[in-house]
Amino acid sequence: MVVNSPSPLPERAIYGFVLYLGSQFGFFLYCLWAFIPEEWLHSIGLTYWPQKYWALAAPIYLLVTLVIIVVLLFGVNMNNTAPLDSLDNMTDVYAKGQKTTDCNKGGIPRLKDIDISEVNRMFYLSPKL
Amino acid sequence: MEDETFTDISGKAISLDCQNHSSLCREFVVSVPKVSIGKVMVYTCCVWLLAYAVFFFTENTAVLSSAIFITLVGMMLHIHFVKVDHETLLVIGSLGIQLSSSYASGRETTTFIEIGKIKDIVINEAIYMHQIIYYLCVLLKDPSEPNAVSRVVPLFQSSKPRLNCLMKVYKSCQEILSKC
Repeated sequence: MVVNSPSPLPERAIYGFVLYLGSQFGFFLYCLWAFIPEEWLHSIGLTYWPQKYWALAAPIYLLVTLVIIVVLLFGVNMNNTAPLDSLDNMTDVYAKGQKTTDCNKGGIPRLKDIDISEVNRMFYLSPKL
Repeated sequence: MEDETFTDISGKAISLDCQNHSSLCREFVVSVPKVSIGKVMVYTCCVWLLAYAVFFFTENTAVLSSAIFITLVGMMLHIHFVKVDHETLLVIGSLGIQLSSSYASGRETTTFIEIGKIKDIVINEAIYMHQIIYYLCVLLKDPSEPNAVSRVVPLFQSSKPRLNCLMKVYKSCQEILSKC
């Protein structure tokens, strides 16, 4: 079974270099389209390209979307956090439905979600060792 | 009672006063420092300078009068509804507990919870904004289902003391609650 690891490999280096060359070339083409006047492009025969307005508008839209995504992510996370008076901070459906009986009295206790009152007693009421 | 310095979660100093009225009755008062006159003056000056700057450019006197009105109304609403002066927890064994918040304007809100509804008083940790804080809360139970928690009432919400203060209150409360 092949283990997936993030270490550098020759194939990954080749992929990275291809992506680098491709993105540099794509940027060069974008700059060509943005700077060459419309008449020259029409005279070559390339008539059905987007308006030059989008050469500026598209990057700005992209950056504004990025900023809004960052703010929105933070906001959505804070909105989904349970408030301090919610029961979700104490327990949930799975903890309430777990089996409470111990099958084997002498052995290691079953792994379970411990009640918060018991946890508090252990932390704050037990004498310091 | 020794007065080791307690702080709230953001580091501002608060004070805790525990009173032992009897073996069954204890009262804990967490006091927040009062509104400082320096801060009030700084805020007022900033708002009024800003209003004067706007007036300088727009030549509209309504800006000045509205700034004064908004400042006054805002301060009154703040001390009446927002600024808590001290919060009290009164535990009476086999009777119940009483939570009370007293605001800077003198207004007091009080809640009484009878002992039949109280399951336990615990310290829990939860995510609050960008940090995880300890907070003291009362677990309420339905008399019909004594093993399940029906509601959670967080205590000391406006003063938000840190763990050392909460531990003192918790140990004291458990002494009384375990007797009844």
